[in-house]
Amino acid sequence: MAQQEFIIERYNPDSDESYEESFNVETQPGQTVLDSLNAIKWEQDGTLSFRMSCRHAICGSCAMKVNGQSMLSCQTQVDAAAERGDPIRVGPQGNQNIIKDLVVDVNKFLNQFERAETWLEPYEDQDPPEREYRQKVEEFDHWSHASTCIHCGACYSDCTVAAVDENFLGPAALAKAYRFVMDSRDAKREERLKFLSEEQGGIWDCTRCYMCVQACPKDVLPMDAIMELRTLAIEAGHVNNHGVRHHKGFMSGVRKRGRLDEMMLPVQSVGIGRLLTGNLAAHKEMMDYTPGAIRLLKSRKLLTIAQRHGANTEGREHIERIFEEVEAEKHHHDVDAEAFGAEFETAIGGH
Amino acid sequence: MSKYAFWPGCVAQGAAPELYTSTLAVAEHLGMDLVELEAAACTGAGIISDGEPYLQDVLNARTMAMAEQMDLPLMDICSTCVGVHRLAAEKLREVDYRIRINHHLAPEGIEYRGSVDPRHLLWILLEDVGIDKINSMVTRPLEELNLGPFYGCYLVRPERTLEFDANPTRRDSLEQLIEILGATTVTYDGMTKCCGFPILTMNKQNSLTMAGTHLDEAQSKGADALVTPCPLCHLNLDAQQPDAAKVIDRNLNLPILHVPQLLGLAMGISPEKLGLTRHVVDTNRLLNKIGV
Repeated sequence: MAQQEFIIERYNPDSDESYEESFNVETQPGQTVLDSLNAIKWEQDGTLSFRMSCRHAICGSCAMKVNGQSMLSCQTQVDAAAERGDPIRVGPQGNQNIIKDLVVDVNKFLNQFERAETWLEPYEDQDPPEREYRQKVEEFDHWSHASTCIHCGACYSDCTVAAVDENFLGPAALAKAYRFVMDSRDAKREERLKFLSEEQGGIWDCTRCYMCVQACPKDVLPMDAIMELRTLAIEAGHVNNHGVRHHKGFMSGVRKRGRLDEMMLPVQSVGIGRLLTGNLAAHKEMMDYTPGAIRLLKSRKLLTIAQRHGANTEGREHIERIFEEVEAEKHHHDVDAEAFGAEFETAIGGH
Repeated sequence: MSKYAFWPGCVAQGAAPELYTSTLAVAEHLGMDLVELEAAACTGAGIISDGEPYLQDVLNARTMAMAEQMDLPLMDICSTCVGVHRLAAEKLREVDYRIRINHHLAPEGIEYRGSVDPRHLLWILLEDVGIDKINSMVTRPLEELNLGPFYGCYLVRPERTLEFDANPTRRDSLEQLIEILGATTVTYDGMTKCCGFPILTMNKQNSLTMAGTHLDEAQSKGADALVTPCPLCHLNLDAQQPDAAKVIDRNLNLPILHVPQLLGLAMGISPEKLGLTRHVVDTNRLLNKIGV
């Protein structure tokens, strides 16, 4: 038995009061944070509110912040959470409204799944199979990580974009969307990729900060799913947005000189085509870059950017060669894939 | 003399030149021999891999093969570079994938054998140079300064790739450096979050709200400056600070230091040599505080 201090971030909706409260709990080896919350509720303060159900990291109810990071409290042992006898800080999930103490309103999080229509849309012109719809094992292996989500909200709670943008679909809904994009039984792959590329708060708003990957208790790897969606969306031709222009502009700088070209990248992201055709929004975006450019000029940084030599000559030759080789390899792959696709279509008789 | 294969990254040779010069100044002072990988390419920063993950892996395998060829440890000075290098190194542990990738390196007469452990200067300071040596080099302890760490995502996540369990000093490397140099750490929520830079050209409002929020939080907790191992964070926190202040409607005046600038100051190197005169947010008030 050891004494462990818990500092709990509480909120009382009746008095609209937020406060911290400290509790000391006798803990045993192997005891979880959730066990400790129950001990507090049963023995010290019955008004403490939190969600829980299965206690086996399956239901996803008890996700909350422990020492600042979202996790399942039933899966987190006290000994692992406490450092050098420090108190353990427990708080509600972030990026959602608090109802009471550690209970948040999960509707904002759950609504994102509905927005992304994350359910199977079967091929309508196909008779249902006699038994079940099948997915090849090797195909499933590729995306199975994204199918293990328990909707606990830990990723959404810690997401750095959701923190500043209500409109962001968020890691879990995007990972779930990826799961259906990848599923060969789903008929809406193309529509999904279009939606995820064009929707405000879609795949191009992610910062790649890895918070979701770190927070997820089920190794869904939401950010990896979002990154793969970007690649698939580009391949499917959804390229008319800032994210893709940024990617292409970045690539062209590296291809030419082996280094990112900071002078050209803003112009390329806004879109040279958009600027040339007199797109007003594009010109306004360029104007927005002016104060920043003037500041860089004043601090004598633009000069360094302009003088940058890039990779040495030999390096540049090989970098250019690698770009060409990978492009050619991809082209071969596309031809193979088309041939395979045609064969596959003949085999299943349509779609 | 300790010798490293040195990848400076694009931003240190572009919009944050003071990171490059201060790194060289500090390395010379500490007796580190840096062999710059002049033929290497940008890591892709996760942006090339948006559409071309394979290409990004080839470029990074090539850089790591160069370090391997010289039999030198690889040193990065950018959180993003080290994160992307480590993610590539992780994928390239798989032999079949490495063979496929090496195909593109063969014309250059190099091959990646999978042995490189890319590290940030900050880690190398703590793991190779060592606390005792740094302590002995400090001639101007920064006792008057309260400093907020700002890590940059890829130096703190994903923990799997960064091998925190095997290298526990990496968890709070910035706090350790700040304290070795005699300054006081200001901790705040934003210190391990995203600076917003990766989406600056996609969603300026979101990007600058992130930068502004973290700057405001650190400033209101009494930080005199932030110190960052990531030049991309530096761009959003320093060069974009006036715009971030407007977006969140607050007064911000928080200098942002690169890791080698902070170390250099404590070792008595001149602010000019460390490029502290080339920031957007003026560093004079900070320098006055430590009597420089």
